Order: sequence, then structure tokens, then C-alpha cells
Amino acid sequence: MSDGDYDYLIKFLALGDSGVGKTSLLYQYTDGKFNSKFITTVGIDFREKRVKLDCDRSVSQISLLQVYRPNGPDGVGGRGQRIHLQLWDTAGQERFRSLTTAFFRDAMGFLLLFDLTNEQSFLNVRNWISQLQMHAYCENPDIVLCGNKSDLEDQRMVKEEEAKELAEKYGIPYFETSAANGNNVSKAIDTLLDLIMKRMERCVDKSWIPEGVVRSNGHSSTEQLSEEQDKGKCGC
Amino acid sequence: MSEAVDLSFLSDVEKDLILQVLQRDEELRKAEERRIRRLKNELLEIRRKGAKRSSQRYSERTCARCQQSLGRISPKANTCRGCNHLVCRDCRSYGPNSSWRCKVCTKEAELKKTTGDWFYDQRINRFANRLGSDMVRLSLRHRSAASKRETVGQTLLQKAQLGDPKGSSAARQKSPQEPRKVPSLFPDASDPQEGKSDTESMENMSLDGYRPAPAAGGGRRNSLDKATTIKEGKQVAAPSGPVAASLTLPLPSRNVLSATNGRETLTGSRSSTLVNEHEAIFKKNPRRVVRPTDYTKSVIDLRPEDFVGESSSMGDRSKSVPGLTTELDEEEEDIDNLVEIHRQRVARGSMRSGTSSSTLGSMVSIYSEAGDFGNIVVTGGISFSLSYEQKTQTLFIHVKECRQLAYGDEAKKRSNPYVKTYLLPDKSRQGKRKTTIKRNTVNPLYNELLKYEINKSLLLARTLQFSVWHHDRFGRNTFLGEAEIPMDSWNFDSQLEEFLLLHGKTGVDAAGLPQYKGELVVSMKYIPSSKHPGAGNGRKGKAGEGGELQVWIKEAKNLTAAKSGGTSDSFVKGYLLPHKNKASKRKTPVVKKTLNPHYNHTFVYNGINPEDLQHICLELTVWDREPLSSNDFLGGVRLGVGNGMSNGQAVDWMDSMGEELNLWQKMRQYPGSWAEGTLQLRSTMAKLRP
Repeated sequence: MSDGDYDYLIKFLALGDSGVGKTSLLYQYTDGKFNSKFITTVGIDFREKRVKLDCDRSVSQISLLQVYRPNGPDGVGGRGQRIHLQLWDTAGQERFRSLTTAFFRDAMGFLLLFDLTNEQSFLNVRNWISQLQMHAYCENPDIVLCGNKSDLEDQRMVKEEEAKELAEKYGIPYFETSAANGNNVSKAIDTLLDLIMKRMERCVDKSWIPEGVVRSNGHSSTEQLSEEQDKGKCGC
Repeated sequence: MSEAVDLSFLSDVEKDLILQVLQRDEELRKAEERRIRRLKNELLEIRRKGAKRSSQRYSERTCARCQQSLGRISPKANTCRGCNHLVCRDCRSYGPNSSWRCKVCTKEAELKKTTGDWFYDQRINRFANRLGSDMVRLSLRHRSAASKRETVGQTLLQKAQLGDPKGSSAARQKSPQEPRKVPSLFPDASDPQEGKSDTESMENMSLDGYRPAPAAGGGRRNSLDKATTIKEGKQVAAPSGPVAASLTLPLPSRNVLSATNGRETLTGSRSSTLVNEHEAIFKKNPRRVVRPTDYTKSVIDLRPEDFVGESSSMGDRSKSVPGLTTELDEEEEDIDNLVEIHRQRVARGSMRSGTSSSTLGSMVSIYSEAGDFGNIVVTGGISFSLSYEQKTQTLFIHVKECRQLAYGDEAKKRSNPYVKTYLLPDKSRQGKRKTTIKRNTVNPLYNELLKYEINKSLLLARTLQFSVWHHDRFGRNTFLGEAEIPMDSWNFDSQLEEFLLLHGKTGVDAAGLPQYKGELVVSMKYIPSSKHPGAGNGRKGKAGEGGELQVWIKEAKNLTAAKSGGTSDSFVKGYLLPHKNKASKRKTPVVKKTLNPHYNHTFVYNGINPEDLQHICLELTVWDREPLSSNDFLGGVRLGVGNGMSNGQAVDWMDSMGEELNLWQKMRQYPGSWAEGTLQLRSTMAKLRP
């Protein structure tokens, strides 16, 4: 599919309980299709999608472009940022757990899904986050929380406020998505992409600009979170 | 990253499906590798054009990139913030806020993003932080770009393509009692008991950290001989002189620097751990590990001093990221040298100059908590008051002041003291409280409140420990003295100010006095190889040599209650010293809600020769499992010959006494039969004084 003709390879991973709709959400995102039949994922899988970030993009990409002002002699900026997304899909089933968690470390960002019509899947979000904190490439990776199946409003078991509250507690964005009708699916993934691009920028910046000078990238919620965690854990 | 995920639970159909996924992944990865190579070549090209040659003289007033004369310009406005070179207008790239960098620096930053190195550098640091041994291992090979980028998919695929000789179930069936014997890529992933939080790994780290020598041995093994990870029995049986081991590495010349650094660090840290190990036992943490890297950089000056301890993990990690230059070294040695020489000439405290020393920095830091002991004569005392608020179940420690402290920096007659507290036996990070640092005084006035939220009945079982430290911004913190108060003897009704004299480290008393922590009932059997058929077959003939040590963890009695309700959820963990690593680690399941748990679990160690029994030591520790927090240490024992020696070297852990010693000797005396003993749990795993 790809021949390296992109500027960034960004790897995301979708996780969450079995049957919350990880595969469907990714399928909707990459192919714009939905299959209501439940096919359980065997271990791991991935899908790919090419995304282009340029001036025409709206919503979350505005801030992205501020960071990503086209510049440089290499011409990368001129045609916009070509991003190749590798979207890892994981099995939610417990028996694959050791395999799936192993893949956490290779992802740059995470889509954490639960099913709005299944309260247990929501309660397990906590566990998934602690799994992430343990196995991801760093202790506070970028995560977007998705309450999926928002089209099944009549079967809803998780209130939007509850979910928002939880997301706020972890300092992560929350979206109510529907893999069936596509609602908010791109938005959730775009937001994650946005977070990653900003983090990337910060990582590079920090390695050569004295700390006091680093400009804020408006990522305050998670940063506060990590600071709080630091206070709890460490101090010496 | 050489260990692999265990896939034996998958059916063949599932394996095939996953393999297909991994193959697709590989295609993508190969394309990615080609792309990255292309990108790096571009950078190389740009650098080559601009690099000044060390053999020639250049005017200070030329552009570092195009060599054009710059004429009369202000150096301040024309210095690239990335590399500190003077750069002409044509060789700059402007970013947002009209800030600019030179083309090389821009390209480097660009490359860090487009190649994903921002991510891989962070990741490698994370997993380096997990264990000291990994740290050593990674620092020994951190120049290898390939391994840094290695993904799980890649590892699995390679394994599958090699016909999976390592993780095969046949290899593991040898010791059915330890199904998790094969190290997995993620110790926790396949292991429900291994904790849902990283506290477990924290704890591992702390325990591993205080014994740098074996950790280094482990690191060496891992980096040099990936294939042996599975033959742990053999390794356990063959303790190696770790310090010497790092010397004998067949290092490519370019790695010598880091290896040397490593050796020095280890030697240095060794002596400090000898002096005081219990300070170091329970307290390594990943941030700590990374932070002093910063000290090698000029960045530190920009921080508020009191903030030093609390910096965000993000910042720390990204700063200790090895520079892109390092990353490219292998392919570009010559051009890199040129750039480096030039840089050093021009750099005025450039931040990048820190990268070269970052290896040393982070290695030193592993053991930095051990601090400097023994160099100072403890003087002075601390004045404080305590109160307990029933309503919020909070202990308030009002640290008022210290008086007549010793100088932390004898040469400069300076002390920057701060006070740290623990409620022993909890020496975890969560249990640590600290005051701010007072500058340049031996009579610091704090008037600060430290709080512990703790149930009163639990509190009474604890000992409050104050320790005073001199904060040295660029080196180790120096121990200035400590004082303990057993909480059961404290009168909380009186909130009067108290003054306690500080004393030096006494070694024995992490908890003030050796406390009664309960007992552990253990049965042990050593089976020499001849009586142990089935050991010598299979392709791992080597691992089959030697006998088998079986440790039957029967039960514990009268454990300390760590949870409210007066119970504990306990488990026993075992290490076969000198190897305090994953390979020698064994754990029982958790037995919940009892102070008299019956574990009935057997640890098996393979490949142990009779003569090894003179040199190894079985360390068993009992822990209260605390999900989402750090496990509480409940007590432990060490079983060995107790003569302070292992393989001709003095070691502090060979300190068994009394019943511990008896049991070990009994086991050695009667091979093939069970030797049982009821052992008093130690309240601390610090060295016992004979």
C-alpha cells in the first residue's frame, strides 16, 4: 500500500473490552463501512490509512498547523504533511491479553473504547488505563476515550457525564462515537493525531530549547495529570 | 527486547492469522526503513556541506553552514539555538514566532519527528528505567539503532520464522511447576499476579537496585547472549564477577567510553551500598533514575531549585534522549567527528554537549540515592512536633528546624539540608515525604508540615524516621544524620515540640529495632543431577547439568497486618542471589485476607551444582499486595552459608544467621530429602551485623 511516500508513520492502537466495537470503529474510519455482524478479532490486526494535514483541514487541525507551519527548504511543508496511519486493532478477549498488551509499547497513541450500552466495559476503562501506563512507551501516553455505539441511544447504560468525568480525571479527551453511523469517529482519531503531533513537537523542542522558553502547546490537562502523578510517586 | 511473548496458548489457525498480520506489518516496516535511510542520507548531505574541518582554521565570523563571511554582525542574534553556531541568514529556517535554527538543526529536529525517533528514544528510556540491569544493557548497546526501533511484531515474526526454538513449550515443560519461567517480553503481561500497576516493577527495581553488581551481570548476559535467557538455571548456578564481566566485553572501540563509565559507576556505587544498603533498598524510582542526566546539562540552572525533585517525567525523558547524532554514528562516523570537533570548539555550554555524557549521568543516577555516607560526622538534631487528626486519619509532622548540622560539603563548608521522612517499614516512594531544601545553612528553619494519611492502628506499628540530607545539585546527596521514633511509644496527646539528636546510619535498624514480623515455614530439598533423571536431556544439555533446588514455601505465621481490618494479602517472592533479576525471581500466588497464609507453593531452580550451594543465597521476602500502589514489605529471610563471601568476593547479602543458616546446612547435608525450618522474618533486608 505504501511506498514510503509519506512524511510520518504514526501508529495508533485501539483497545478496550471485547465487543465494544474497536474493529468496527477502525473499519468505519478507514473504509467508511459498517458490518453489524460480530467477528471477534484474533489477537491483533491492523489497518492503514493515509491522512493529509494541510490548510484545508478544519477543526482540530487548525492548531496543528500553527505548530506545523510549512517551512524549510525540503519542501515537506509545501504539500502538507502526509501521514501514514497504522491503526492496530487488538482482541478484547482476556485470553489474548498477554499478546495484545505486548503491542502497547509500539503504539504512539491509543484509542480506548468502551460500549455505551455495557456498563462493565466502562468500569474496565480504569484497568485498561493502568495497563497502558504499565506497558506503553511512556507512563502518560496520549489516549482518547471513546464511548462507542452512541447510535443505540435507547440501550444506553453509561451517562455522558459519568464518562466525561472519568475522562477529565485522566485528563484525556472523550468522544461519543458510533462506528455504525460514523458519528465522531474521524473526530476522535483526528484529535488523537493532533495530540501526537503536538507531543512530537514538544519532544523535539525540549531537547534543544531551555525549559523556560518552551512555548505552551495547550496540552495542559494531561500535563497537569502527569505532574500530579509525579508528586504522588516521586519527589527526591 | 530479545525475549519474546509466549504464544503457545494460540491454536495453529490463530497463529497463522497472526502471522499474516505480522507479515503485512513487516512490509510496512521495510518501506519505513527505506524511507528513514533516505531521510538520514539527506541530513548527512546537508551536514557535509556545512561542516568545518578541524584541520583548517576558520574565522569566527563565518557562517558555520556555508562558510560565507558574516561581516560585522551581532553574535547574539545570529547564533543558532540548536547548535550554538553562527549562521548566516541563508542557512536558516524560520519557525513559528519568528524563531529560527540553522538548517542542520532544523533538519535534525525534522528528522526526529519524521523518523519517529522522538517516540523510540522515549520508549527505550522507559524500558531502560524498569530495571537497573536493563539500564546497563541498553547503555552498552544504545548505539544500535536497529534494536531501538525493534517492534514486538518484528520480534514475533522473526521468532516464527526461525521455527520458534526459544519459546517452544517443550523447553518449558521441564519444570511444570513454574509455568512462567520463560521470560516474556513483558513480565506483567502474561502474569495476572504480577500486578496491575507498576508498583510491582517499582519494587523490583528497588530491590534490584541496591545490589548493583548482580544487576550488571544480568545486563551483560542479556546483551551478549540473548539465547541464554532461557537457561536461567545454569546462569543462576554460575555467578560471575560482574564488575570484571563488564571489563571483558568484546566491545567495539566506540563503545568503550560507556563501558568504562559503567564500570566506574558500579565500583563507586558498590562501596556506598556497602556502607548503607537499607537506605537504598526500597526506593529506586524511574524518575530518579533519569533525572541526574539533567545535571550534566545546562538546563538545570533554569529551574527553580526547589523544583528539582518534581520535574515532569516528560521533560526528563525527552532530555535524556540520546541525540540524533548518536543515533547516526554508525554510518557517519567521520563526518560526525568533524561536526563534533567543531561543535566543541564553538559550543558555549551548548545543551547538546550533554548528550555525550548522558550515559554516565544516567548510570550514576541509578545508585545516586545511595548517597554519600560515612564521610561526615553526624552532628546536631532535629526539632519537630507530631499530631494525629482522628477525623481525617492523618499524621501531621511539623518539622520546625534542625540545629548544628554537619557540613554536607566539607570543602566549602556548606550544607543545603532537607529533611526526609518515612513511616518504616514502608520505604516506598509513596511513603516518602520531604521538606524543601534550605540553602547554605547548618541551622535550617523549615516550619513545614508533612502529612501521612494512615489509620491509627497501622500507624502504631510504624516507626517514623527522619533523615537529613545535604542536597548537592551536581553530585550525590550527602547523608547528614537520622533519627527514629517508634510510633507505638509516642504520646499523641502531647503536641509539644520535641528535639532529637541525629545519629549516623546504624545499619541494623531500618525499623529502629529488629521487630517481630512473624515466621515463614519453608522446606527445601537439593537434588543432585545424578538423582534427577530428565535433567540432562534436550538440546539445552548445559542447563541440565547440576542439580535442582526445590523450595517449598509452606506457610507464614503472624504476619504484620498491612490492610485495614487487620489482615494482609500476602505473597512470597524469591531470588537466588547473586542474581537478583527476573531469571531468578519466583513468586507464590497471593493469599488473601489472612495473617497466617498457607502458600503451599514450590519454587524450583535448575542447574545448580553442589559446590554452588556455597556461593548462592536464597532470599525470600513476604509482601502485602497492594494493587495500584506499592506492595508493602512484610518481612524476609536469607538462606545461605552466611559467611559474607560469594565466589571469592565479599558480599553483604551472604548474612544468614541462626535458623536460616541451620536450614541451609541441613539441606546441603542431606541431598534429596526435605529440610524444613520455621524462620523468623527479618524486619528489614538490610545486612545483618554478625
